[in-house]
Amino acid sequence: METRQQGAVLFSGILVLIGTLVIIQLWLLTAALEALLARDAGVLLPATLSSLVLFLINAGLLWYVVSFDRRVRRDEGRGVE
Amino acid sequence: MADGVDNSEQWREDFPVRWDVDHYLTRRELAKFLTLGSALLVGATGAIAAIGRFGFQEIRARQWIASAAALQPSGSLLFRYPTSDDPCILVRTAAGELKAYSQVCTHLSCAVRHVPDKDEFFCPCHRGFFAVADGRPLAGPPTRRLPRILLEERDGDVYAVGVEV
Ligand code: FES
Repeated sequence: METRQQGAVLFSGILVLIGTLVIIQLWLLTAALEALLARDAGVLLPATLSSLVLFLINAGLLWYVVSFDRRVRRDEGRGVE
Repeated sequence: MADGVDNSEQWREDFPVRWDVDHYLTRRELAKFLTLGSALLVGATGAIAAIGRFGFQEIRARQWIASAAALQPSGSLLFRYPTSDDPCILVRTAAGELKAYSQVCTHLSCAVRHVPDKDEFFCPCHRGFFAVADGRPLAGPPTRRLPRILLEERDGDVYAVGVEV
């Protein structure tokens, strides 16, 4: 049975992962902008696809967070919010 | 009061949420918020890619610049192309070749000048240098080459026919 204490620790780890991926996405965005200004169109599509992959990983992690939360609520038999 | 803790229920009413529950909720919400930010970043990067894919239309208007005889070797003259807001510079190299570039420095947009004895462009703002032969940066802060103006010589006249960025 999952508890909120476990969840808080687990979510911290997941947040570090998501945060790291978001920072990489920010870097990709600035690299894409730089490439656009340099008229270097070859970099733009790979940057977008990489960013999309990182978003999908983030969405997967969030899906895990949400399903964990559902299990906690179900086990407690009530919602906190 | 026992164990240093006030057991009257007043403080519980003021602070009804336990620390662990509070951490749990804030981290869950932050995960949602960051994932939303992640989606927005994909959208922004995609928008930049779309601009890069569809926004660069090569400019191909034909415009008279000068008569070819007006420029002596190592001489230069200024013109505007493709619009009156785009300063450009036409140069005849020491070898007699005609070259034209945007006059806007690719560092911070100061106007570059021709250095006749070296066949270079010089940007006085931060001492940037560009090669007249191909517009590439030689020294100083600029990292991108100057956009080249495509030229056409016909019947003794020089025309600008496009911009190669
Ligand atoms: S603006 Fe030309 S070197 Fe900085």
